[in-house]
Amino acid sequence: MFFEQLGGNLIQGVVLGAVYGMATMGLSLIFGVLKVVNVGHGAFIMVGAFLTLFLFSSLGINPLIAIPVAFMVGMGLGLIFYYTTIRKLIKAPELATLLATFSIGVLLEELIKLIFGSEFRGYNWVVGKIDLGITVLPLSKLYACIGSILIAVLLYLWFKKTRAGSAVRSVVEDSEGARVCGINVGGAYALSFSLGIGLTVASGVLLTMFIPVGINPYMGGGYTLKAFVIAVLGGLSSPYGAFFGGLVFGLIENGSYTLFAYIPGVEPFALTRFLSFVILLVILLIRPTGILSAK
Amino acid sequence: MKQIQKYFPLIPVFAAYLIMFLLGENMEGMWQLMSMLLFYCALGQAFNVFMGMTGYVDFGYVAFLGVGTYGMALSITRLVQYEFLGAWIIVIGFGLAMVMSTLLSMAVGAVALRLRGAYFAIATIGVNEGFRFLIEGARIWNGSEGMIFTADLNKVLGRDAAAALCTYWADIMVLVIAALAAFVTLVYMRSKIGYALTALREDEDAAKVMGINVTKFKIIAFITSACFAGLLGATAWALKTPYVFPPEVFEIHYTIEAIIIVMLGGAGTLLGPVVGGLVYGISKYYLSIFLPGFQLLIFAPIILVIIVLFPEGIVGMLKAKTKGTGVERFIV
Amino acid sequence: MALLTLENVTKRFGGLVAVNQVSLEIAPGEFVGIVGPNGSGKTTLFNVISGVFYPEEGTVLFEGRDITSLPPFKRAPLGIGRTFQIPRPFASATVRENIAVGAMFGTQGHRLSVDGSLEVADEIIKRVDLTAHRDKAAGTLTPVEKKLMEIARALAMKPRLLLMDEAMAGMHPNDIDQMVAFIKRVADEENIAIVAMVEHIMRAVVGLAEKVIVLHQGSKIVDAPTKEALENPRVVEVYLGHAPEDSAC
Repeated sequence: MFFEQLGGNLIQGVVLGAVYGMATMGLSLIFGVLKVVNVGHGAFIMVGAFLTLFLFSSLGINPLIAIPVAFMVGMGLGLIFYYTTIRKLIKAPELATLLATFSIGVLLEELIKLIFGSEFRGYNWVVGKIDLGITVLPLSKLYACIGSILIAVLLYLWFKKTRAGSAVRSVVEDSEGARVCGINVGGAYALSFSLGIGLTVASGVLLTMFIPVGINPYMGGGYTLKAFVIAVLGGLSSPYGAFFGGLVFGLIENGSYTLFAYIPGVEPFALTRFLSFVILLVILLIRPTGILSAK
Repeated sequence: MKQIQKYFPLIPVFAAYLIMFLLGENMEGMWQLMSMLLFYCALGQAFNVFMGMTGYVDFGYVAFLGVGTYGMALSITRLVQYEFLGAWIIVIGFGLAMVMSTLLSMAVGAVALRLRGAYFAIATIGVNEGFRFLIEGARIWNGSEGMIFTADLNKVLGRDAAAALCTYWADIMVLVIAALAAFVTLVYMRSKIGYALTALREDEDAAKVMGINVTKFKIIAFITSACFAGLLGATAWALKTPYVFPPEVFEIHYTIEAIIIVMLGGAGTLLGPVVGGLVYGISKYYLSIFLPGFQLLIFAPIILVIIVLFPEGIVGMLKAKTKGTGVERFIV
Repeated sequence: MALLTLENVTKRFGGLVAVNQVSLEIAPGEFVGIVGPNGSGKTTLFNVISGVFYPEEGTVLFEGRDITSLPPFKRAPLGIGRTFQIPRPFASATVRENIAVGAMFGTQGHRLSVDGSLEVADEIIKRVDLTAHRDKAAGTLTPVEKKLMEIARALAMKPRLLLMDEAMAGMHPNDIDQMVAFIKRVADEENIAIVAMVEHIMRAVVGLAEKVIVLHQGSKIVDAPTKEALENPRVVEVYLGHAPEDSAC
């Protein structure tokens, strides 16, 4: 019984983990290219969630269609924030970009709160489920998982095969050298930043499949922490590391929840969230460059 | 610099606090506003000791306020049975708040302070969350139910004294903390600690090569800042409103407010947190009348503008303008 | 006793050997030039001496004491000072405060109070003729003034060994001559050994260095009194025999 439950939870963990991983890719991309830590990461996920909510509840649009919409919105937001703020702070001390991205996150939270109010919302997109024996997986979650993997693969191909992607890769290797070779480094930064934000907002769509009623303007905070744990697990600058880090994190999160549920006198949900924080600190202590570093 | 002249910069700070106190005392209905302003000034002073002087951001700062609140709460609830202690329970509460925030800051610092800027920020991002979920998860100190200790406080001090504490003396203690934090800030600034912190803030690697043990000084600033936060939580939260509830005392929005206050006023300056606290506090107060809940929406873009265009903050710009004049030595 | 001794120091970064079995000795008060093209390992060697890197093999001895794994901030009070190629001032602090920092945490740091350090700074400011800029924010200085302040700050530490990282690059030859002569004078007066790291053999260094060490691809190829080193055929080869490397596009 225990092992069935554990197995079921682990499968759910992998499914969720893929989405977590995809949600973190943007963070790692932005850090890898611009060396900027987007502390407002969770807020962009939240924007994606609200976008999905709006499209579905008000316009009846299927969340899967919301994904590319969210991506575009995200890229737009990324460009706006890059050109108005981030670009001017690349040369400034680290404190500046940390506070700037943080403030952008706060701004987004407050704007969404203004428009949508601060109550918890959700939506019901029922498309059936599949029974795997030890666990039942709603198809919406399965679609989210597949969507995440697809996006990760697309990103990989973009980096490898397109000119823009190669340009960005060379900027990561050596920005001065890239500049000398005629690559528009500023453009690469803008592209990477908006791509990263686009990915993050799109991931918000996918994550809503896992939150029946949890959508609210302040939901981002919890995801920011998870994203950082995952990013650090996977090596802060590698989007692929982030993806695999997500899988590992999903497993750990669900596995630990099952285990904690067996300990009397504790609240498993809260303790699981505490555990993710401990993992973050432990990794930062031992190997800040990530346990699963991949290029 | 002559010994006494070194302390001149405290004059405008203390004068501001005195004015706030007098206004609150003597004008009808002003006490509430003044107590809020003093809280923000104290928060800013405490936060400035670390973020302003080292240039590192601790996103989990509110955890120290929360821990301090628990310290006071624990003292009151656990020691109420020892009647002979009387009002000393409050003193012990402050002591416990300081000890607990020191311990937490040492624990967090041990991991986080070895890390550079961005990694440090990442490490602290979850501190307030982490600690809150530890308390809730492991059901420590009543877990997610929190503690209400109005009755205990009444028993310890007697009804009237307890009421006076909640409505008056707790705020006076906030003022004392604000003044103390300002004093310590200046002492640091004028000592080797201040020079080391400025050096490591400007260029950590060059500072190391110059012989500065950057980790040691970061720890000093971090623990100092945490202690003041703990004391502040103990009085402004535990004593003013005798209950503690994890989601409230670990709310990230206090960290946001601290950041706004310090950046607005001028990070790393002595007067900055006072100016920032006043501007933010007054704005929030009046906004709450006309546009409640809007203050963060308004201040978030303001902070962005400050970061990009005026990173020195109000006092920073004032310092530049008054350079070479007589007023210079008061604006630090 | 030698002031600084390196014995078979090797530093690797992954597969790359940046410094390969380098041994050398610097005597107290000596003026030594370390020369080598880009990529020869000079900067890494400097970083090993100042403690930024720890070598995989070999030992670093300072005044007989093994400092191989001593953290950088502990080397300054022992007497190892360093300047950087691109000056690194503490921009928001004044020139006076910058230089005082050197005194506060240098070899005399344990004896000096903040006020004492400021006095030491004032003295040095007079010596390097920066008095006009004493209370200006260091970030507002011109590049040449910044270099001067960089050196002054290092001198305020009262070092016994000063590692100078191409402190003269980009300056007018006359200014270079003057600055180097000034440094030599101070070094002689205070018995400071100077190790100047330069990319190619500069006339200023050549004029004053007692000995020259040439590095090439991480290894030491020449270690001799200046005159001999200049006539060494390998040195000539290193500087004239290689085509410039293609940049990777």
